[in-house]
Amino acid sequence: MDIDKWFSKLLDDPCNELIQKAMDEGQIPVGYSCSYVPDVMLSVEGLFPIRMRAPGITGTELADNYLSSVICSYTRSLLEFALDGRYDFLRGCVFAASCDHLRRLYDNLEYLRRPGFSRILDVPHKTGDAAITWYTDELQGFAKALADHFGCDMSTDSLSKAIRENNAFNAILREIGELRRSDHPVMTGTEYHHLVIAANSSPKKTLLPIMEKIRDDLQSRDPLPPYRARLLLVGGHLDDPGYIGIIESQGGLIVEDRLCTGSYPGLQPIPETDDPIAAIARHYLTKTSCPRMMEAFPERAEDIVYLAGKCRADGVVIQILKFCDTWGVEAASFVSYIRDAGIPVLRLERDYRLSGEGQLRTRIQAFIESMGK
Amino acid sequence: METTKPGLSDYLEFNKYRAINLMHIGRMAAKHGPFDLLRDMKRYPWMWDLVKVNRLLQRLVDGRSGNYRTAVAMVLSGVVDGVIELLEGIFYRSDRLILHEDLLPPEIFRAMGLQTWVPELLGILLPMIVPDSMQKYLDAAENEGIPPDICSLPRATIGVAMKNAFPTPLAVVSSNMPCDGGMSSYTVIAQQTKKPAYWVDVPFDFKSERALDYFAGELKAMIAWLEEHTPGRMDWDHLKEICDKRNVMAELELDIWDMIRQRPAPMAAEAVWMSHLWFFNVNPGYDTSIKLLADLKSLTEKNLAARVSAVPREKYRALLWNPPTLHYVDLMVWAERTYGVSLILDSMSFNRQPFIDTSSRDAMLKSLGNIIMQGPMARHTRGPAEMNYFPDIFHMVKHFDLDMVWVAGHIGCKNTQAMSGVLREKCRDAGVPLLVIDYDLMDSRITPKEGIQEQVGNFMENIMKARRLDQ
Repeated sequence: MDIDKWFSKLLDDPCNELIQKAMDEGQIPVGYSCSYVPDVMLSVEGLFPIRMRAPGITGTELADNYLSSVICSYTRSLLEFALDGRYDFLRGCVFAASCDHLRRLYDNLEYLRRPGFSRILDVPHKTGDAAITWYTDELQGFAKALADHFGCDMSTDSLSKAIRENNAFNAILREIGELRRSDHPVMTGTEYHHLVIAANSSPKKTLLPIMEKIRDDLQSRDPLPPYRARLLLVGGHLDDPGYIGIIESQGGLIVEDRLCTGSYPGLQPIPETDDPIAAIARHYLTKTSCPRMMEAFPERAEDIVYLAGKCRADGVVIQILKFCDTWGVEAASFVSYIRDAGIPVLRLERDYRLSGEGQLRTRIQAFIESMGK
Repeated sequence: METTKPGLSDYLEFNKYRAINLMHIGRMAAKHGPFDLLRDMKRYPWMWDLVKVNRLLQRLVDGRSGNYRTAVAMVLSGVVDGVIELLEGIFYRSDRLILHEDLLPPEIFRAMGLQTWVPELLGILLPMIVPDSMQKYLDAAENEGIPPDICSLPRATIGVAMKNAFPTPLAVVSSNMPCDGGMSSYTVIAQQTKKPAYWVDVPFDFKSERALDYFAGELKAMIAWLEEHTPGRMDWDHLKEICDKRNVMAELELDIWDMIRQRPAPMAAEAVWMSHLWFFNVNPGYDTSIKLLADLKSLTEKNLAARVSAVPREKYRALLWNPPTLHYVDLMVWAERTYGVSLILDSMSFNRQPFIDTSSRDAMLKSLGNIIMQGPMARHTRGPAEMNYFPDIFHMVKHFDLDMVWVAGHIGCKNTQAMSGVLREKCRDAGVPLLVIDYDLMDSRITPKEGIQEQVGNFMENIMKARRLDQ
């Protein structure tokens, strides 16, 4: 299977063929917009989660009128798609009050085009016991709202089953991801990102056999042709594998990622306990590594240096969405921290829509050359 | 209603307050001694701009008269006194000094016997005095990789930290208020100071009892953390005393707000907003703050009794949404004289939760928490906008009999920018004229004062059909 080709086609459409198929079978798609939204709770019988994206967006003229042009372009793109009716297939949307931009997206959508089911989760900015208790309460209310609105089973058994299935699916993705890190990788970062984004934006049950086949096929694949440098990619929301494709076209192979929409830390297993909602609250609050968490900069910075060492990266590329306040400030601090650790680092600002490709190529080339590769 | 023009007594009054300000500064200089003062002015170069405060006084009283002029001068003088006290604190009580984010309750720190410095204060005060004073700090932050689109207040604050121009604290305390930029800035400040830091968390949906309990718990944990990391110890009786006095201040302010509902208003602009900004956010529960508000109330009453309008020929009454235009803080002086616009109230002052329940320790913490969560900026940057952002605007328009809404559309305030589209439609539906001023809070290179005047002029003449009073 040509992973890039097959998945590119799949990811081109926010309502792709797998979603259509699941809907035809009576499954209900519910959109969400942030890694703090526990998508596993939207994976109970009868529902499936879709991480909202705006593939192929060409402009945000309508959204700019409301959100202004100084809000992050991911948020604006979602509003533009919503106003265009591109999310009308979703039966509900779940947001997280995770940053100013997403909070205001929710406010604007409530006024302009309220989804059939609309919920914003109040996610604490800390991870201590009080915060986890708070988020557990929040998710209990969320579970009740889902059950009331969709009539789905949000019982302990049902949620435990969803956790088991989620863990099993993610285990396959992690297994595939490991193949990027070997001394002679058999898959590119672009290919892997295709899989991860597809997993976020397609019904997992339909995707599972495809992922299993890919995992099996990769075992016998030949190593990739020589590349110039091994890179760790860091940043927030990135749902366009084409961006990674440009980096890799210059010889910088992405062997590991630490993205909101990536493999680490999002694919870690959720503990299977007697209290699935508490386990989910703890997992999503502590395993989603976003600069919005006020106290955890040292851990996040150490994590990057550790990951870079673990995957034997020659350098770190930090990519952030322009206008993102939390990542904007954090990236400045990361650069000093990573550099002080003796690891070459490149910081890139980007728009949600893939643009400035020539400039990106030049920066990557220069970065790789500066590492003597 | 009668109006007044500046006369001899106004001139004398101006000089009185100018002399008082100089005395405050002189007091500090005399106490500190010339050698130490020069050393500290080298360590804190922003002090050179602070001591130019009488330039601001000159600009703010220009063309104003009577009790209104006196009130503005008196409030500014009170601020000068407060700043000098803070400076003396960093000079003489540095062994108890903490840096704290501007929306955290100073009542608690004071009751703990801690000396405080609010990093954001410089970004608020300095551009009012010297409009371009923060540009070097903005540039310093950008040069270190802080994105230029982050709100200029936290960006400038980061710049001050990067230039090592803050006093050295024992600890840093912050929160997730009021916005992501503000919150993130403390990651940098904590790293720069290399001191232990603590953050309190304010829920998004802040109106429930659950949120109140959660946040009161956060404040409790903060107190315990401060007791562990500083010599500060909570004196609950002292906290009660401070809170009781703050309640007196709140009563006085509510009385003033009640009087400015009258058309034309007997008091306006800086006398109203600057008094709230400083005395409730920096010096709550001080005897000097009570006295100042009592004097302010008395001046307002006198104007009301004598049927004197604060703004001569008040023709339009405005609500200012967002912080005032700091680098052109005398905008209202110009707008009053040019179009007869009276600024009645602003989003930074208006609040719905003024009093503290002092019946128990928990009650005090809950009330203080509620004041913060329901207070300016915190309230308007969280909670669904349909529940508090728009209702507050339209409540204020109705309650204070306002003719228009001016949004100081600070380009770095993404929370406000992202609501302007919906606000425009809601104001249109409600028949409330809306002006969104495009500018940056403290960087006049983005929009200079002439650009702000032009936007206001276009709005007043094209939308309000106003005629200039100065032509």
